[in-house]
Formats: sequence, structure tokens, C-alpha cells
Amino acid sequence: MQFAKFVVTRLIAYVLVIWIGITVVFFVPRFMPTDPVEAMLGRIMTRGAYMEAEQVEAMRATLTQAFGLEGTLMEQYFGFMQRIFVTREFGPSLSMFPTPVNELIGRALPWTLGLLLSSTIIAWILGNAIGLLAGYRSRWLSSRTLEIIAIFVYPIPYYITALILIILFIHINPIFPLFFSIRGDPPSLEFISSVIYNSILPAASIVIVGFGWWVLSMKALSSSISEEDFVYFAKLKGAGEGRIMTAYVLRNAILPQVTVLALQIGTIFNGALITEILFGYPGLGTMTYNAVLQADYNLLMGTITISIIAVATSTLIIDLLYPVFDPRIRQR
Amino acid sequence: MRRTSPRLTIGLIILAVFIILGGILPFLSPEDPRDWIRHPRNLPPSAEHFLGTTNLGQDTFWLLSYATQNSLFIGVFVAFFATLIGVFAGLAAGFLGGSADRVITLFADVFIVVPSLPILILMSSLLQGRASLLLISIILILFNWPWPARQMRSIALSMRERQFVNTARFSGSGTVQILAEEIVPHIFSWAMANFVNTVLVAIATESGLAVIGLSSLEEATLGTMIYWALQHQALLGQRWWWIGSPVFAIIVLFICLFLLSTGIASRSAERRGHGDA
Amino acid sequence: MYKKYGRILFAVFLLALVILPSTALVSAQDMTEVGTPRATTLIVDQLDGRIDNPTQTNPYQAGTRFNQGLHQLAYSNMWEINTATGEQFPGLAAEMPEALNDDFTSFRITLRENLAWSDGEPITTADMAFTIDMVLNTPEFPYHGFLSQVVDSYEVVDDLTMILNTKRSEPRLGYTLGVHIWGDSFRLVPKHIWENEDPATFQNYPPVVSGPYTLADVDPNGNWFLYDKRADWEHTDVGQIFGEPGPEHVLFRFYGTEERRIIAGIQNQLDIFTDISPEAWDILRDANPNARAWHEDFPWANFDDPCERGIVFSNSQEPWDNQNVRWAMALATDIKSVGLATFAGILRVSPLAVPPVQVIHDAFHKPMRDWMTEFAFEDGYQPFDPNYAVDIAAILADQGVEGLPESEEALVDLFGVGWWKHDPDKATEMLQAEGFTLQDGAWHKPDGSPWQITINSPSNFEVQSQRLAFAVADNWRAFGIDAAVQQMDSGTFWSQYSRGEFDAGSYWPGCGALPDSWDLLDAFWHKRHIVPIGQPAPGNAMRYDSDALSGILDQIAPLPSDHPDTIPLLTEFEKQFIVERPWLPMFGTSKFVPVITTYWDGLPTADYFYEGPWWWWSLFKYHMPFIQPKSDG
Repeated sequence: MQFAKFVVTRLIAYVLVIWIGITVVFFVPRFMPTDPVEAMLGRIMTRGAYMEAEQVEAMRATLTQAFGLEGTLMEQYFGFMQRIFVTREFGPSLSMFPTPVNELIGRALPWTLGLLLSSTIIAWILGNAIGLLAGYRSRWLSSRTLEIIAIFVYPIPYYITALILIILFIHINPIFPLFFSIRGDPPSLEFISSVIYNSILPAASIVIVGFGWWVLSMKALSSSISEEDFVYFAKLKGAGEGRIMTAYVLRNAILPQVTVLALQIGTIFNGALITEILFGYPGLGTMTYNAVLQADYNLLMGTITISIIAVATSTLIIDLLYPVFDPRIRQR
Repeated sequence: MRRTSPRLTIGLIILAVFIILGGILPFLSPEDPRDWIRHPRNLPPSAEHFLGTTNLGQDTFWLLSYATQNSLFIGVFVAFFATLIGVFAGLAAGFLGGSADRVITLFADVFIVVPSLPILILMSSLLQGRASLLLISIILILFNWPWPARQMRSIALSMRERQFVNTARFSGSGTVQILAEEIVPHIFSWAMANFVNTVLVAIATESGLAVIGLSSLEEATLGTMIYWALQHQALLGQRWWWIGSPVFAIIVLFICLFLLSTGIASRSAERRGHGDA
Repeated sequence: MYKKYGRILFAVFLLALVILPSTALVSAQDMTEVGTPRATTLIVDQLDGRIDNPTQTNPYQAGTRFNQGLHQLAYSNMWEINTATGEQFPGLAAEMPEALNDDFTSFRITLRENLAWSDGEPITTADMAFTIDMVLNTPEFPYHGFLSQVVDSYEVVDDLTMILNTKRSEPRLGYTLGVHIWGDSFRLVPKHIWENEDPATFQNYPPVVSGPYTLADVDPNGNWFLYDKRADWEHTDVGQIFGEPGPEHVLFRFYGTEERRIIAGIQNQLDIFTDISPEAWDILRDANPNARAWHEDFPWANFDDPCERGIVFSNSQEPWDNQNVRWAMALATDIKSVGLATFAGILRVSPLAVPPVQVIHDAFHKPMRDWMTEFAFEDGYQPFDPNYAVDIAAILADQGVEGLPESEEALVDLFGVGWWKHDPDKATEMLQAEGFTLQDGAWHKPDGSPWQITINSPSNFEVQSQRLAFAVADNWRAFGIDAAVQQMDSGTFWSQYSRGEFDAGSYWPGCGALPDSWDLLDAFWHKRHIVPIGQPAPGNAMRYDSDALSGILDQIAPLPSDHPDTIPLLTEFEKQFIVERPWLPMFGTSKFVPVITTYWDGLPTADYFYEGPWWWWSLFKYHMPFIQPKSDG
């Protein structure tokens, strides 16, 4: 019964978080000093066409109507809420009018998810394994070497790391393609291998930047746990080294790390921007960035809403799974 | 009792160098290194210009000292407040439970689920160019406190069930006393790791914003230095002094903070007397 | 045991970095990544970056993009421009529009014979009539508003002839429905394809087009666009005018950041570049011997881009409504340091309202140089410094630049006729006369408040204007004004400009490719466009209200370009412009638009100048017959 009550409270919080998040993101862009009609007009007019005042006015009215920006803010807000919860579509993109937002996101999302989920998880496993070794067996040469590598690599700004990779493996020693190009159609072997080949370098850049933090935080956690009394008693009891490390140290240190991993899903949605720019990788990052710049409300709301729901859901799952990882936690 | 660990000593020495570079040298600078075309462009290092000059005719060394000052300010300011707020909010949520837990968690979750980058881009376009470094720091704090808070909450949740806390509770200690005597030493090393990390996250986020042109680019920070160097192709053009010095500074700064945090952690472990447990 | 794990992990890490990828080594560069032979594929830099809606090729929808080759290769225009001669010429049309009355409201338009759509159907006036009707009947199109104010009625005479009646006098119909700069929105569409579609929602992919290339394939992620030469190229305007296009395929490709584009150029994977910075050009030149800029030697860059860069003021707000303040800002600016910080001095200065492109430089800047040198304020002060070219050449020679011309005449041709003196003392005197005060090295406005100037600047696009803004702010700070740069994305940048909600900005309201730039000058400066601050301006976003300038523009309006009074009146305009000083034009645009000649002959350069290097303009299709594969392979 305790647990059921916990689940219900948690679900209420889940819905509340999503609703507050979406509402905030609906209103904030509307206070920007730009609006999508002006941005579009600016783009059309800088193409060099000369227009009379009345012509510009006519075009502005056309665009405002086509973009669905008529009516008060509250009307737009309710219309938007209705759209996402009832018809589950975000309308046409404003900067790429009239291509639907759902189509744009549908095309970009698999790329972003594929690259970032896999590289984030690789970094997490790699980093925590090294961190555990470094924390539990801090006197071993190999664990110290790996730790030192992590310390040196981690603080290099991502932009620089990625550029250095590009210069090393594309420019000086061209073993990776400069140009992101996919051959073949989705299910074929050619397609899969070209995706992997094209994704190695961007993924490596994310792993390199990400794993250092896991090493350092895991090391801090596991070395402090190694000093705890229960580890000491386990040793006295004669438990094997391997068992102590996995059953005692890892078990206790992993919980906060899992929490942060779940939260990292959020950065997946905006963290890809620089990767996409530098590696020419397709995905949501550049799209979101341009949506902000062009005041493309519909596209912006689409990507952010998806991101909010994904992150909220993964934190919900983590919270519900806590008891599995650490049965000592009493649920309230 | 051992003397101060070598890690702590080295860390303190490097920190002292940075404090001199960023805290004292900027006040001795013979010029405002942000001004352009003050010197011939792209000079190699010499007695007159320790780190040469940039493609914009600035003295790299003095520019670096200004940049270090500002970046240290951003990093420490953001990390200190984000960690402080995060730790206390997380502890409060974890130990108090009930509605306090729910409100704090809800707040933290909203900040976590809303992706920060689009909001940061929106904010800086709202701030109209005179976005001071202080303002950028405050925005960074807003987006950085929920992380330690969530993590702290889960640590607190697992800790309140731990043996030593229960022991203390049975022996009649008050919550504050438990916090001060048992919890704080226990989480200290974690908080330091988080602090060090947040210093870097802050410096890196600021430089990330700078790279897409959203920081206060006329101010010298390690991020804007990298921005201008990249804009002028210092990396492919092999102008190592210009692009290298801010990157090198960030790495050394991080190592210094790392040594300090592990040094402090092992000292506090010693003090807790686990040596003879 | 765990030691072993550590080693294995480390080994896996190394494996991932080194061994795996090396097994996947790309074969020789015989083929491009999209499967066409490299030797017959021209690879062009995609100016607008990634296009997220790559299959939206309906040319009239608001969100359709064109710079990925669509308007360069696939759509031909009615009238085109030749930037080498500075003249318009007929494209799809057989002749320039023939005016049938003195009011310029009725025209005979004839189409070229034997033109065909890319599916083989002939292009006729029926398609033109269909296009006009469709735009007039589809209010969802942004272009609808424009065209409905131009076209009154039409009458199809035969398959190739149409009489077009306009709603107002159109002495420059070639500009209105044809190309002046960049391209034009009036694009014919095939009736037989479109007549059964809803034009507002029709995606039009793959498009049936009038140009010499068809869109053959696109990257679903929008990173590349492949065009194939039409087998029936004789039935296109390009084929009929200049002959067979050289490249079998043209690939528009987005490589990403400047670093990656340079690497692509070094690896011969990119033949034609759009803008790069002077620093990037230095690197490219050193690394690829086949890299060629517009000029063989210094200054390398092409100076003929049709807009000039400088600092704009919001003229209806104080203190910018004061002519003397604007002049003081000119004299407080050290143009040489701005030029060095912006593009290493590789720039041509311009003190006039029109850009210093070759044809305009010869028609206005050089003939007016003596007048400018003599020009004086009421107190007799002569602000012009004609020695700019000689002085900047000396500075550059000092920095080791080689290949500078010797004679003053050649230097003026290169660096420009001169600019305003850097005279902070005179600027101080002028500002103090207006009530400004200098306290502890910082300027205060007449009301006693500290003087702050915010300069709007593009962020990460239009790099020359961006750098210029920072350089000018740096200059003005040295003069004692608290000047700061506000970088903006293009949406905000343009909407603040249009609403007049800015202080100063690095905009470029000085454009023109031909000596007669009346249409653009009128849009920028005529007072009839002025709307209150806060409302988007249709023109004259600087909100500069001048009877004198507007009066001269009104006199030019009814005159066709070749009228003998047109140029003298435009010169009058320039003189009045200098007196009133409504903005501070500084430099023409220097375009570093290099090419890689490893695979191709006949790319345009200063020595082979049949057309300017404007790969993102619609005229790019006319380069194609000149560009041929290297004969030795």
C-alpha cells in the first residue's frame, strides 16, 4: 500500500512537471524581441527584392494568418495545449512553412537518439568501470594511469576536443570521412555500416568528453565507500576482493550515478548542437537552435516538448526503480 | 598524524599561481588588453610580449590574465552557489521528506526537464548585449543547482537508513547534530567533487555560449579568448600561443582544483580516523 | 584479476580509436560520396548550411530555400544580370521588356524560342499566364502581395508573346520581374504539372524546371543536393546563349564550420567556396597549390559584392538626429585600424551611399574624388583624407605584404578613393559645440548622462559586418564613448532594424550592382517609407527624414536607366548624402570566394572575368558553359 501511494504521488508530480515545463516554454519565446513573421520578412527582403510599403504590409498580413498567430496569447496557448494532447501534432514549421513540425522532428530524432544514447551509455559504463577501479584499487598503476588520462582529457572544452579529433583523423590522417553521407536504404547492411562508420568520430568525441566526469565522480564515491565500516567488516569476514567490489562498493556507489545518467537524457537534446555543427551530423540540435533564432515557435515547442517528456519520463522510471537498486529505501 | 599531503601542496601552489595571474596581475597591466590593433599582429613570444600577440593586435599574456580573472569569477561564483543551494535543498528533501521533499523535487525537476540551451539562447537575446558576466553567472546557477540537489537527495535517502545514522539517532543526537557530525563529513568529498565539476561546467558552458556568440564577447574570459582565436582560425593556422594559452589554462586550473578536492577528501578521511577503524 | 580488466578496457579504447576505422579506409577519390564520378562533378559550398526541409521545392511557399542550387541551376529567370558588364540581359525572355506607352504601364514580353521544361514540354506564354494567375489567386504565397500590386492584366498574343499591363508606371520592369541582385522571386512553373495541384500545399518534388540542371537527388538530412545536366540543354536559355554546360553533375554540399570547409578544400573535395575569412584563405593557399582566389596575388579577394558595410544610426532618435554628431563620429573613427581589425586591410573604402564595386567606383567614386577633397564644413574644415590608399599600402608593406601596386592611381583603384580623417580633436570640438561634455575621459550627453552606444551586429553570419562592429566599438571606446556590440541572430537583427528599435548597427543599406541604383537608394532613403518607431518599416529603416534627398530621388524615379540625366542626378544625390551624413559607409564587401582548380578549367577569376564569383546568385547557371573538366584529367 505504501508503494502504491508512492507511485500515485510520483505520477502526479510527473504530470505537474511536464505541464509547468511546457507552459514556461510556451510563454518565454513570446517575449523575445523577434517574431517569426518579421524574421521571415527579413529573410525574404534581404534577398534583394524591393517592395513598396503596401506590399510589405500585405505580405505581413498573409504570413500572420498563415502562421496561425492571430488571437490573444491565451487563445494560442489553449489551442496549442489542445493540439499536443488531442491531435499530437505541432502544426507547420514557421521558418520552413508549410512543412509539418512532426515530419521534421521525425526525421531528425532517430539520429540524435541513436548517437547520444549510445555514446552517453558507453561513456557511462567506461567511466564508472575505470572510476570504480581507481577508487577501490587506487594504488594500482593501470587504474592511476587511466585516472590521470581522465583528469587531463576531461577539462578540455568540447569544441576543442572535437576540432582536435577532426584535425587528427580527418585532416592529417584521413581515415574518417569529412563529409557525412549515408549510403543505402534503412534496413540494409550497407546502410548500417555506413551509419556506424560515419558516427564513430562524433561518438568518440562525446565519449571522450563525457567519461572523465564518470571516472572522477565514481572514484570519489567508491573510495569513500571503501573506507566504510561495512566494507571493513566484509573484509574481516573473508569476502573475496571481487565480491567486495561489486556487491558492497559498486552496489552503493551506483545509485547516484544512475540518477545522473537519467538526468543526462535531458542534455542529449541540446548537447548535440555543437556535435552536429562540427561533424555535419544530422539531428535535433541545429534544428532547435535555428528554431530559436528564427522564432519558429511551432518547431521550438515541438523539440522542447519531446525533450521535456523524455527527461521527465526517465526520471520517473528511475524513481520507481530506486527500491530495486537499494531496498533499504523506505518509500513514502 | 601525517603532514599535509603532497597533492594538497601542489594544488595549493598551482592555485596560488592562478590567483596571482587572475587576481593580482590584471591590476598591474600596463594596458587594457581588450583593445584591438594596439600592437603589431601575430608576433611570436618575446621579452616584450611573453605570449606574443593575437591576430587582433592584443598582448596575449595580459589578455590571458584578464580572462583568467573573469573565468575564475564565473566558475567559483557559480560552483559555490549552485553546490551550496543544491546540497542544502537535496539534504532537506531527503531528510525532511513529506511536502518539503515534494516541493523541492518538483522545482528541481522543472529546471531539469526544461532543456537549458534553448533557454540560454533566448535569455541572451533578451538581455540586449549588456549581459554582464554576473548575469550570465546567475543564469548558470539557475540551471546547475538541481543536479547536486537530486543526487544529494538520493544520497540522503540511502544514508538515513545507514547504520551510523541510526546509531546516532538511537544515542539521542538531534538532527542538526547528526548532520554536522555524521553527514557533512561523509558528503564532503562528494560535494568537493561536485564543486570542482561545476567550476568547470560553468567555465565550459560560458565558453560554449561564447563559441556560438552568446556570451559577453567584449569581455575577456577563457571562453571568449577561445572564441576569437577560433574565429581567426588560430587552430589550423597554428597560432599556438593564442589558442593554446586559454586551453592550457583551463586544463591546469582543473587539475589544480582536482588535486585540492582529493587532497582535502583524504585529509578529512584521516581526521575521521578510519586509519584505526 | 581487476588489473586485467583495466588493461582490456584500455586496449578496447585504443582499438576503437585506431584499428577499427583504418579497416574502413575510403577508396581512391574517383567517386564522390553520392556515387557520381569526381572528375565530372562540380562540388559547391552550400551557403545556407543544412536545409531541414530538403524536398520542399515549391518556389512560392514562404519557407522554401533557394541557395542550395535551386535558383542557381534549376530555375531560370525572365531577365538576368551580367555582373561583368553591369547590364541586364534576357534569360527566358527573348528581349528586354518593350514598353508600349510613355507611361511605362504596358509592355510586350516575348519568350525565347525552343525552350522546354525538363520533362520535354515546351515553355510557352500559357505557362507564364498560369503562373501569374496562380500567384494572384493564392494569397498564402508571400509573393502574392507583391505581384498583385504590379500586374493589372495580361493578354496572350501567341505561344511566345504576351502583353502585360501594370498597375503603376514601371520604367524598370526588368528589375521588377527580373534579377537585379541575388535573384528574383518571379519564377515560371509548368502549367501541365501544377494545374491539378493545390499550389499552396504542393511540395513540387522532384521539380520540373526551366534551368539547365535538374534536381536529381537530395540528402534526407539536407546536407547535400545533387543536380544533373539536362540532356536537352539546347532547350534552355543557358544552352542557347552560351552553349553546353561543362559539369555533368553539380553537387551542393554542406561541410559545416570554416575549419571543415578548409580541410575539404585542402583534400580537393570542394571546388567552389562561398565566404571564408582572410585567415582561412591564408591557410588554404599554403596547403593547396591549386587554390585560387579572385586575384592571383594580393589582395586576392573580390571587391565587387553589391553591398557596402558601415555603421547605421537610428536617425530619428537623439543624438543621431543631429548632423554634426554623425559627422563627429566619422572623425572619431580611425578607418585604418578598423580595416586592419576587420579584414587585415584587404578592403576598399567607400565614403558614398553606393558600394565601391568596379562599375560604380568608376561612375561615382573616382569622378567625385576631387569634389570630396575640396568639400568643407561651414567653418572651412575639410574632412576628407584622399591619402588613405597610399597610407594603408605603407602599413601593409611594413607588415610584409607583397605584390602591392606602386602608383597612386593603382592604389586608389585597389583600396579606394579615400575616407574621412581620423581627427579626434575636431570630433571633440564638434561634440562640445553640441553640448556634449568630456568628464574624466568619458563622454556625457548634453543632459549630463553618460553616453552609451550599442552597436547591433550579426552573430556568426556576415562575418565582415560582425568584425567591423567590434572594431568600430573599439575605436569609439578609445575616443571615450562607452560603446558596446550587441550580437544578434538574423531574426532579431533584422526585426530591430525594421522596427527602428536600435541605437546604432552594423547594417548595410548601401547596395547596387549597376550604376543606376535608384530602386535601392529609394528604398533606403526616401522619406515616404518612414513609419513610427516600433512599427516595421517597408524601407528607410534608419528613419532618415530628408526633403533634399527625397526630392532628388523623386526626380530620378520616372527616368529609365539610360536617360542622360540619370547619372548626374544620382551624383547630386551623393553630394547631398555627404553633406547630411545619414550613415557611415566604410568599406565595400571583400569576398574571399576561392576555387580549387584541381579538376576544373574556366572558373571565373579577375583574369578571366566573364561573370562575377557569385555562386549563390541565380546567374551561377551562366558560369556552367565556361567551366570545363581539366583536359589532362
